[in-house]
Amino acid sequence: MEVKHISKVIHHQTILADIEFEVIPGNIVGIVGRNGAGKTTLLRSMAGILKPTKGDITIDGQSIFLKPSLKAQTIFVPDSSEALKNYSTKELIYLYKSIYPHFDQQYLEALMNRFSLEPINKIGNYSKGMKALFTLIVAFATKAKYILLDEPTDGLDVIIKKQILQILIEEVADKDVAVIISSHRLDELEFMANDVILIKDGRVDSHYELDSMKELYKKIQLVFETELPEEIAENTYVLEQTGRVSTVLIPRDSTAVEELISSYHPLLYEELSMSLEDYFIAKLGGDDNV
Amino acid sequence: MFEKGLWFQNYKQSKFIIWILLVLFVLQMPLQAILSLETWTERAEQAAETDEYVYEVQAWDINQIFSQGMFTVFVAVALVLLASLLIGLERNTRRNDFTFSLPYKRSTLFYAKWALGVTVITGFFALNYIPSYIIIHQSEFAYGLNLVSSLEIFWAPLLGYIFFYTFALLIGAITGEMVSQVVLTFLLGFLPLILLTLFQEFMQVHDFFFFSIGSQPRFITYLTPFYYTIGEMGEMIGIFLAVLFTIICTLGGAALYERNKIEYNGEFLIFKQLNPVFIVILTIIIALFGGLIVSSLAPWGANALRIISYWIGFSTFLLFALLLIRRLIIMNITFSGKPT
Repeated sequence: MEVKHISKVIHHQTILADIEFEVIPGNIVGIVGRNGAGKTTLLRSMAGILKPTKGDITIDGQSIFLKPSLKAQTIFVPDSSEALKNYSTKELIYLYKSIYPHFDQQYLEALMNRFSLEPINKIGNYSKGMKALFTLIVAFATKAKYILLDEPTDGLDVIIKKQILQILIEEVADKDVAVIISSHRLDELEFMANDVILIKDGRVDSHYELDSMKELYKKIQLVFETELPEEIAENTYVLEQTGRVSTVLIPRDSTAVEELISSYHPLLYEELSMSLEDYFIAKLGGDDNV
Repeated sequence: MFEKGLWFQNYKQSKFIIWILLVLFVLQMPLQAILSLETWTERAEQAAETDEYVYEVQAWDINQIFSQGMFTVFVAVALVLLASLLIGLERNTRRNDFTFSLPYKRSTLFYAKWALGVTVITGFFALNYIPSYIIIHQSEFAYGLNLVSSLEIFWAPLLGYIFFYTFALLIGAITGEMVSQVVLTFLLGFLPLILLTLFQEFMQVHDFFFFSIGSQPRFITYLTPFYYTIGEMGEMIGIFLAVLFTIICTLGGAALYERNKIEYNGEFLIFKQLNPVFIVILTIIIALFGGLIVSSLAPWGANALRIISYWIGFSTFLLFALLLIRRLIIMNITFSGKPT
């Protein structure tokens, strides 16, 4: 699936601007960004729900807007199961079976058994976690190649989250599917995604493979006799500052910054393990931004 | 159009009103036929007691059962609700996202909604028409059926309902949510008649006639969609226009639905370029209506007072219209639902 230079203008406001990337089956792609950055608009465009103002979404080189039957290869799982809440599990299975030709009912029933999901007369009566789990299992049962998940673990308890993450990883490992997840939970994305796209002001700010991204920066804890020198603050990403203790992010291969820090003779210089969250907080300019 | 998944999905979200429609048709036709036979028998018996008077069923009595009367109005309302559950309510909720993410052309989605409604209307109408016809045919009042044509009692109401339902779907393709779909369907469903009435009153108050006022011209009836549901089209031209307008509304609705920008769901209109048109039409209608209401309070003989009160009403309602329409244009009614 290719996202080809898509832009979206709503009420004269540019929500997405010239977004471009490719999704290859077998990958979990994380889409991160601040609230209102355009993550959901991007996912809804990729699902063919919104038509981009410019650009296109293609699967196998063909536009999903010109050939909507290609959307049988994608499934969009929104952050709310509102649309299907009045269906019984049996009705929903019937609906999906008649829309998605490769729908695998046996797989669905097996996973429902595994996670103790009983068939129900109204999906709206499942608990929040069960609904999330059920819609995810249904999505995988469609055998769609591209699964688009909007905040799949938002507001769920730890056990359900663990189960959801487990399904995601198992499915991507076993089958040739791509999962595209928009999420605020950077710690979860770090655990699953191998590709991360950062959206800022409707644009792709950066697009990294997770492992290579971690090699780009290092996280250092510094303690000086007085506060963090201003020159260091200007040349690093300051993650946290409490009194004389500062945590900063610096480019891994920048000897100039290393020399600058040592010129101020820090009392403590210690490299810490870096998380995805550290990178994005630094990149987006403050921990209240993500 | 014939995708069974879409049929199931559309049925699921509108079954409540579909079964209400069946009940309305049962009440309108078979039940009304049985009760009417009782009434006619009673009248005939009463007439028999009176010398030189024989009771005879009139065409009007038959039309009341098949194509006219209050039940046709209820059916028309139910059809608008059916169309608004299939399109408008989808826009108010998250269902539109689900529907538009499915692997079908948007025009196919529209045609599936149209096909469900048309099947329901045709099926339920025929299902109730046939026994009602037989009931009357087997009675002593069977001659009543010779007073009406099949155009009047079968084709006109059936095609009229189909046209009005299609018209409501077309309005759904341009409006952003359920309430605006219902309101605009009724407003535009009566628009030629409303405009005629308002302009006639305007000219009458000012004693200044752009065109002569007579009884309602027939072309106004032909151009007013609502008339197609209440048995006003029992003639060849009415049937032809019902079919023609149905084709136009179906193709137009599908083309507009294909071009829908659903990011504007929940707002008054989906196509922002239509906002100025509706602002002008609504403002004129509301202001003229204000003139009509207030001028009617003045004595008929006092011409100057009627003109002054007309313009007081016009200006006041114009102000209301401007305030109301501004709110309408910026409104957004969406029920997004709780996450997961």
